[in-house]
Amino acid sequence: MNTGPVPILQPRPSADRSRPVVPARDWRTSLRIWLEERLGLAGIQNAIMGGTMPGGASLWHTLGSVAAGLFVVEAVTGIFLALFYAPSAQTAWASVAYIQDQLPFGWFVRGLHSFGSSALIVVAGLHLLQVLLFGAYRRPREGNWILGLALFGLTALFALSGYLLPFDQKGYWAKLVEATITGSAPVVGGAVQQVVQGGTAFGNLTVTHAFAAHALLLPAAFAVVTALHVYLYRKHGPTPKWSLTPEQLLARTEPAFPYQTVRNAGVGLFVLSIVICAVASRHGAPLESPADPTSSYLARPEWYALPLFQLRMYFEGPLEIVATMIIPGVVGSLLLALPFLDRAPSNHPGVRRRVMAAAVLGLVALGALSAIAVARDAHDPAYAKGRAEEETRAHTARLLAQKGMPPEGGLAVFRNDPLNHARDIWDQRCSGCHGLVGAGGDKGPDFKDYDSRAWIRGFLENPEGPLFMGTAKIDKGMKSVPGTPEELDALAEMVYAETGAPDADPAKVARGRGLIDQKDCDSCHESDGEGENAGPNLKGRGSLAWVEAVISDAGQGRLYGEKNKMPKFAGKLTPSEIEDLARFVLAQKTGR
Amino acid sequence: MSERPPDTRRAFFAMLTAGLGALTAAIAIVPGLGLLAAPLRRAIIRGAGQPLRVAAAEDVKPEKPIRVTAVGEVQDAWQRLDHVTVGSCWLVRATEGAPIRAFSTVCPHLGCGIDWNEKTGNFDCPCHNSSFDLHGRCLSGPSPRGLDELDVSADGHEVLVRYQRFRTGSTKKEPIG
Repeated sequence: MNTGPVPILQPRPSADRSRPVVPARDWRTSLRIWLEERLGLAGIQNAIMGGTMPGGASLWHTLGSVAAGLFVVEAVTGIFLALFYAPSAQTAWASVAYIQDQLPFGWFVRGLHSFGSSALIVVAGLHLLQVLLFGAYRRPREGNWILGLALFGLTALFALSGYLLPFDQKGYWAKLVEATITGSAPVVGGAVQQVVQGGTAFGNLTVTHAFAAHALLLPAAFAVVTALHVYLYRKHGPTPKWSLTPEQLLARTEPAFPYQTVRNAGVGLFVLSIVICAVASRHGAPLESPADPTSSYLARPEWYALPLFQLRMYFEGPLEIVATMIIPGVVGSLLLALPFLDRAPSNHPGVRRRVMAAAVLGLVALGALSAIAVARDAHDPAYAKGRAEEETRAHTARLLAQKGMPPEGGLAVFRNDPLNHARDIWDQRCSGCHGLVGAGGDKGPDFKDYDSRAWIRGFLENPEGPLFMGTAKIDKGMKSVPGTPEELDALAEMVYAETGAPDADPAKVARGRGLIDQKDCDSCHESDGEGENAGPNLKGRGSLAWVEAVISDAGQGRLYGEKNKMPKFAGKLTPSEIEDLARFVLAQKTGR
Repeated sequence: MSERPPDTRRAFFAMLTAGLGALTAAIAIVPGLGLLAAPLRRAIIRGAGQPLRVAAAEDVKPEKPIRVTAVGEVQDAWQRLDHVTVGSCWLVRATEGAPIRAFSTVCPHLGCGIDWNEKTGNFDCPCHNSSFDLHGRCLSGPSPRGLDELDVSADGHEVLVRYQRFRTGSTKKEPIG
């Protein structure tokens, strides 16, 4: 029996001590080993960029990685944008306009996100074509082909949901058309549409739903499918070019890192620099005016959806579903089934003539449909006019938004416009007595087409008519001016000239002045700008300053004097409000 | 140019991969950091600092502080609000005929809302029990300074207060925003 001391407390030899003595390493090697022991970084690196490239690295094989890289750029810029974006019908446009026009680099980050998504669709499309050409969808890679198509579909959903988020005209109308198409699908269409847009009409929930899908749901789905896609890619390895013999494949095999990865990074940066050029030249992504459900906007989808948009033109009425559902559905199903339909003996495109022909035909069809759509708009003056109007409107809206958005958001931005502000004052202070639409006022003149020749001429013919002073019921007011039409025209032209209108006819004006004495106008009206009489002084009548004076105090002697019944607004409105209001009244002139 | 030996070429490509990748990452990240830093360079909420009508002078009785809210125009990021509560303050008249003073209700300690305690005649913070007298001086508790006094002006019989916020938790009264 062992009665000696039990060596419980004796330190166990540590892992380090058990190791053979190694020569001194430099600190970088030590750090790498230290991290590797704990984190297994080499395994991660191997999972992402390990493996070999049979037949050697190539530019052909860069496309998948470039698409993944672009996705990461989208994710990073998307997170930055989400830090400043507010998803609701009231705040979406306002917060995007704030990002675009007021935050430093906001336009750049948003531009990178928007043009980057276009680049991602292009690169993903090229990746799909490369896989078709190389026969990389064939046995045993059927699963990865289907995962790739799923990623393509998710990319399309990203684009669709992201497009609505600014809630501008373009996004609103494009999304509305897509939602309606969804709703037209048989059986479940209506229900799907209501769930996606969060109700029977577009509103707050449409924006929150689109944002949650775009920023939470789709990224999660995309990450999972991408991981599976990369896993299967690593399991099966790249599909080398068909022309290489087994001996060549062996002889030219290179490790993917760094020979393929350097190409991936190079092509990726090249694509990104094209995106940056686009962003810089357009000063970021476009932002149109806030969504206006009452407008007749010329809705056009983004470039990648143009072929479908054009296809729809050829199927009308009940046949529309052919373009919106059946053709895309058949093409999608054929693509999914491709690996199982293709029974060719090798990857060589020469023996897969039907697949190659279908791919070329598909590309030509997409190109031709887009070209027709673009060409038609390019030759349509109505489209050009609509675009020009929208550009002006967007420019105005974005300038007005910088004064601070009203809480109602969206279209309320136009209230920052002085004329619209004046409209509010008008509604509160003026509309009780005056009309604006040619239906007459309750106690004063109607200002529809105010100060036009026709308005003045109408006044001269019947000052006490319902559109003029009739409703004011002025005691001993102005009476109809007798005269031939030619004489009345001349008098109207003379009054018209006093408004400051640049297109007054001097000959007629002179003739009108000559009639003042004959028609006895001067017994009530002075025309020196100072003199007081029963009626207003005609000098400068109807000019901006004159209308401001009337609004301020129409009872001044040189204006309506004791006959005046209109309240005085000086002191109740600020001078700038009175000026805005005067401009508003003068802006009612639409005729000449 | 002579052929590099494979090892050098490999190391060069590895470095190039890392370099190009880092450049791509920088392009995505750096402008975003500029965006993120925007609130450091400009006030995101603007509009405080105007004298705002808060009460009628005769409503402020000696030793009976009243709590009033300052309502005014504020620009919050993209939004302009014409009629929102900018903040609130206590109006105090220490004795009959003394001038009206205004103290922010924000406790200088950690920003809780100061309350008037009628029993003790002091201002008390409900969170950490700082106590202040009618002149805003700190009597007890963790507050690093007395109550923050706001500029008061009179317009006829009306009391106007220039509402401001100050950095909490420091002995110095530093305006923010």
